[in-house]
Amino acid sequence: MSGRRAPVGVGRDFGLVAWQVLYEQRAFWRNRARAFFAFLFPIIFLVIFSAIFQSKTIYVGFHRTISYDTFFVPGILAYGVIATTFINMAVGTTVLRDDGVLKRMAGTPLAGWAYVAARIISTLIVTVAMSALTLLIGHFVYNTHVRGATLPGLIVTLALGSATFTALGVALVRYIKNAEAAPAVVNAAILPLTFISGIWFHFHLSPTLTDIAKVFPVRALADGLQHAFNPFTTGSGFESSDLLTLAVWLAVGAVGMVRFLRAPDRV
Amino acid sequence: MSAIEVHDLHKSYGDFEAVSGVSFDVALGEVFCLLGPNGAGKTTITEILEGYRVRSGGEVSVLGMDPAGGPRALRERVGIVLQSCGVQQDLTVAELIEMYGRYHKRRRGVDELIELVELDAKRETRAQDLSGGQRRRLDLALALVGEPDLIFLDEPTTGFDPHARRQAWSTIRSLCELGKTVFLTTHFMDEAQTLADRVAVMRTGTIVAIGSPDELGGRGRRPSAIRFTLPHAAELPERIDAAITRDGDRVQLETTNPVRVTAAITGWAVAEGIELTGFCVTQPTLEDIYLELTGEASP
Repeated sequence: MSGRRAPVGVGRDFGLVAWQVLYEQRAFWRNRARAFFAFLFPIIFLVIFSAIFQSKTIYVGFHRTISYDTFFVPGILAYGVIATTFINMAVGTTVLRDDGVLKRMAGTPLAGWAYVAARIISTLIVTVAMSALTLLIGHFVYNTHVRGATLPGLIVTLALGSATFTALGVALVRYIKNAEAAPAVVNAAILPLTFISGIWFHFHLSPTLTDIAKVFPVRALADGLQHAFNPFTTGSGFESSDLLTLAVWLAVGAVGMVRFLRAPDRV
Repeated sequence: MSAIEVHDLHKSYGDFEAVSGVSFDVALGEVFCLLGPNGAGKTTITEILEGYRVRSGGEVSVLGMDPAGGPRALRERVGIVLQSCGVQQDLTVAELIEMYGRYHKRRRGVDELIELVELDAKRETRAQDLSGGQRRRLDLALALVGEPDLIFLDEPTTGFDPHARRQAWSTIRSLCELGKTVFLTTHFMDEAQTLADRVAVMRTGTIVAIGSPDELGGRGRRPSAIRFTLPHAAELPERIDAAITRDGDRVQLETTNPVRVTAAITGWAVAEGIELTGFCVTQPTLEDIYLELTGEASP
């Protein structure tokens, strides 16, 4: 027998997670269409919308206005987080389920938690890369700067938002019948919310629509990030009501995610 | 110790009983085959043994372990080829074999496996660009990567062309030479006949017969058929120890003693100078027995 021995012991599972992240990354970037929609799409939006609304300003209350870019960069950042975590996770996991890959993985000695952890870490790597690119473009091209004072708020909101939308993305898979339906279901769940949540434009919405938007995590993420970018924000850039909304939805997503992963019919 | 022990296995889905009281043992190093029509319960039993489904009743032991819930120690020692189960489409053949190999404590080398399943030319090809047969061979390589003691093959050659099937059979036979135990399901008779040491025929959730392919359902003791065409106007000799059926000039003799009857008939034909065309002696095929056992024989 020419069997080679892999390392054994406590570190083995963590080593496997690291390896799996590597394979997931390789697979992600190799699939051009997916990488384009998850990673480059938000940045293309950024360029197009900024060109359209070049000289517009946005009223932020108390006789103060900010440039459209300062409003739009965090909005696109919020959409980017949703695209790389929620949309990517929901569509990607549905495809893996329908192709039988999840079933195959369940039959290997790889621990279930290790595979899920690797998928999540890999997703977050894409999110971090997308966020960094968006912030860099915002900084150098559109002159939108995050101040050191509000940086903690930005980072915490990004981290919490990413976690929330990752969990929600996996949780949603239970409700998607098949892989062909996945993009439709995911966009139906998210696109209308982006319009009433102040991601693309600063509409004057009816109080009812605003109240509806406030229930969902899209507005919380966008508003939290816009708060951190707003030059008139004082303090560390935390918007506690937004963070609370995100935390509640993280709990919902986590429960849904665990239910999906434990469901006997997932394979 | 047996590789697999199943005693009075039951599995219900609501009111429907998919498996009702199945018992069998599979010895170490044996090639055991479940044969049966679609819906007979083959895949349900296989998936219970693999740990994907939880049984409703009965005792099951796979390599000395209870497979319910798929314990990791068991997953280390079995290789599984599932029906139509995909892989990560964007990774290459070599990457996939390497990746799945890492999950196992024991594992075979990538090059060795690629050579075994004859995918050398497709080494750097992504899974999505493989043909059906090539993907099935990749499945086999992935099932073998952890040096399993027991291999589950659920309809491993469905969708293969005849050449690819022969190739897969020779690969499966080479597993037996390595001392692996193979648990196979199929609905191809020739596959069961060629590969299996023992066959269990299933019908609506139960095993209706179990035995070697040659002995199954008393196949070895069944009457053989001798068929030939008589020239016009010739008459058969009077004393033949066989059941005779005639359809014009076409004659069929059924007998449990084919050697003696054949000798009698050919001796008579040679002595009389009669030419018997299309002369053949056949045992009931595994397919005949199968159709009879599963109640699918035409009336």
